[in-house]
Amino acid sequence: MKGQRLVLILLSSLLVGCAVDVKPWQRDQLAEQKMQLVTDPMEQSFDEHIYFSKEAASGGKGVGGGGCGCN
Amino acid sequence: MGSLTVEQQAGYWVGRFKAMASPCEVLMEASNRSDAVALAQSAYDEVKRIEQKFSRYRDDNIIYKINTSQGRAVEVDDEMANLLDYADHCYQLSEGRFDITSGLLRQAWKFDGSANLPPMELIERLKSSISWKKVDWQRPYITLPSGMEIDLGGIGKEYAVDTSINLLKQKTAASLLINFGGDLAVTAPRKSGGGWCVAVDSPDRVGSSTGQEIELKQGALATSGDAQRYLLKEGVRYSHILDPTTGWPVVDAPRSVTVFAASCTEAGILASLSMMHGSGAEAFLNEQQIKSWVVR
Amino acid sequence: MQLKNRTLRRQLSLATCALLTGIPGQASSADWVVDAGVMSYSESDRVSAVKTIATGQRLTEETTISVTVLVDTLTGASPNGASAATTSQTFTTASGTAYTATEKETPLRDFEDTRTAISSSWEQVLNRLFRLKLGADISTEDDYDSLGLNASLSRDFNNRLTTVTVGAAITQDTITPSGGTPVERSATDGTTLAIQSKEEEKSTTDLLLGVTQILSRTTLTQLNYSYSLVDGYMSDPYKIVSEVDAVTGNTTGYRYEKRPDSRIRQSVNWTTAHHLTEDVVHFTYRYFWDDWGIDSHTFDLKYRYEIGAGHYLQPQVRYYMQSAADFYRHSLVDSEVLPNYLSSDQRLGEMSSYTIGLKYGFPVFTDGRLSLRIAYMQQSGDSSPSDAIGSQKQVDLFPTLEAMIVNVNFNIPF
Repeated sequence: MKGQRLVLILLSSLLVGCAVDVKPWQRDQLAEQKMQLVTDPMEQSFDEHIYFSKEAASGGKGVGGGGCGCN
Repeated sequence: MGSLTVEQQAGYWVGRFKAMASPCEVLMEASNRSDAVALAQSAYDEVKRIEQKFSRYRDDNIIYKINTSQGRAVEVDDEMANLLDYADHCYQLSEGRFDITSGLLRQAWKFDGSANLPPMELIERLKSSISWKKVDWQRPYITLPSGMEIDLGGIGKEYAVDTSINLLKQKTAASLLINFGGDLAVTAPRKSGGGWCVAVDSPDRVGSSTGQEIELKQGALATSGDAQRYLLKEGVRYSHILDPTTGWPVVDAPRSVTVFAASCTEAGILASLSMMHGSGAEAFLNEQQIKSWVVR
Repeated sequence: MQLKNRTLRRQLSLATCALLTGIPGQASSADWVVDAGVMSYSESDRVSAVKTIATGQRLTEETTISVTVLVDTLTGASPNGASAATTSQTFTTASGTAYTATEKETPLRDFEDTRTAISSSWEQVLNRLFRLKLGADISTEDDYDSLGLNASLSRDFNNRLTTVTVGAAITQDTITPSGGTPVERSATDGTTLAIQSKEEEKSTTDLLLGVTQILSRTTLTQLNYSYSLVDGYMSDPYKIVSEVDAVTGNTTGYRYEKRPDSRIRQSVNWTTAHHLTEDVVHFTYRYFWDDWGIDSHTFDLKYRYEIGAGHYLQPQVRYYMQSAADFYRHSLVDSEVLPNYLSSDQRLGEMSSYTIGLKYGFPVFTDGRLSLRIAYMQQSGDSSPSDAIGSQKQVDLFPTLEAMIVNVNFNIPF
């Protein structure tokens, strides 16, 4: 079940991807700092530590970052 | 290569040839004729190499390949990549006024001293194909949208002066002056301790001196401006310096600006940029503390 | 403009120099960017933490090197895992300090810890399409040390509209509680401790597959799948579980917790950024599941409202919910057969949490940025579960957690 869900999401994102063509010179807005998927890495690192120490779920955004006891 | 001549003057040798549509000369404090010929030949070979590699009038070079790439990525060598990086920096620093894709505007503007201004629609149409921003430059790949063109004419001659100077410096410690159509550079002070005397041409009377003589011991001079190339309509003198951001010539630009800098390429860019400031050229040159000579 | 003009000539000189000496990219010269941030996290009557981070990044056209130093100070009280009871309860720490929870109060253990972590990464453009990133982290606490290595490789496809990233990380942790780790599941009267070992280990392997896609001139989306395998000691050496009488519900004793020594975590994380005329919306959804029986959903929405002149306000809402781990128990009944695994850590219980926050950012100096954020978090679960016995019905078996988060971040390029 879970596997299927993943494949579906992946497929739909690729399908949408094929339909567009954004030329390099049209990517000015996408290149702005505020459009980065992680706009503020420091804030994210703070938040991830808080949530890691309070919730069972973690990760998802990337690899690495370091472990902690976080009780 | 019969077009290269070398002759002896009082205290130095001079090699002459034609390249990049300009008269070129190399002044050398060489000790004998064969050294002088070898040095002049090297400069000649170097300027021809650059002309062949970067001229937009050829159909066998990288410029042609890029201009006919129809939107496909073209891989370029290190030298071309360095020039494109440089063009990119100049574009950024000049806020779009220096743009190697602006050559298309020449299709509209013929600077023959007449009052014939091109139709607005033509300029607007050409402008849509002009903007370095539209070019995808990811060293070493350049992707030029079809319909656009690049042209290194704005820096080619000055660049050739600098590469020739660098090449000759490796061959001799003697003092040299290279002059390609008025853009020139000197390697070192002469044996006497003095420099080479250079006269700044008056744009109205080509070949005659304005009375300003510069003694050049080291560094380079480049001049922007040309007496024959302008349009005159209703009392407004349109210089041949085109502003790619408007598609129109710069109004009230000086007739010529000569700039002194460490290298000819730098002097050339500074001279062109100051022309772009029109009536503000002198203010720009002062603000940037650039050693220059302006003719109005 | 004035400032820019003064540097124009110098920049042109640098660029020309690079051109003529044939050193590519020198003119854009290496830039250092320094980020510094301070965050205060405080739970009402419980833990408060102050985190300080500083990151230095050196950016060139093809390489990014980054070094981050983090110092984290925690003080306050944390639940020891025992349930609140209708009588007062007394416990003793390994170092011999006694503490008491009065009636109906959730037992909290005072603690203090300082964590220092250093992480560094090196990111290199390999060629037109490939980028490689390598990283290392080291972190140390009084009772916990961690060492990690990570690598990820990205490739652009489809005229750079699509980027595929594969990543892997390994982390090795060492747990050394003062006084050693207790024997898992062993009974304790709250004052004595049977030592299992001085030191325990845990190793983690993370794998990630991600696709980033440009959907339009204004929309960017990313889908990541993460798989993580953890092996080793995952119990909390400080946490105990209350044992209660099957009829009265009164506490009769305590047991140290025990969690499985292996865990497989998986998640799908979907992030989208959309650019309106000026404003930007970020939305993230994560589905997480593991083989401990936990399923969780996280929704996060941020709206960046541009006030003008580089000033912005960014409200944020985050909602999180999770199901309980199979072995989560708020308490044990003293007559039952002791389960293989047990923990009353609220982190493993069924609960939901929300965070609301507001951030204000503005430019400082020439290219610097400063931001201030204040956020409120609340986490709650079932305070009166249906399986509560006798006196347990009079106490809060899942106390609600409230916390305030304040942080200041500073970013300056040199």
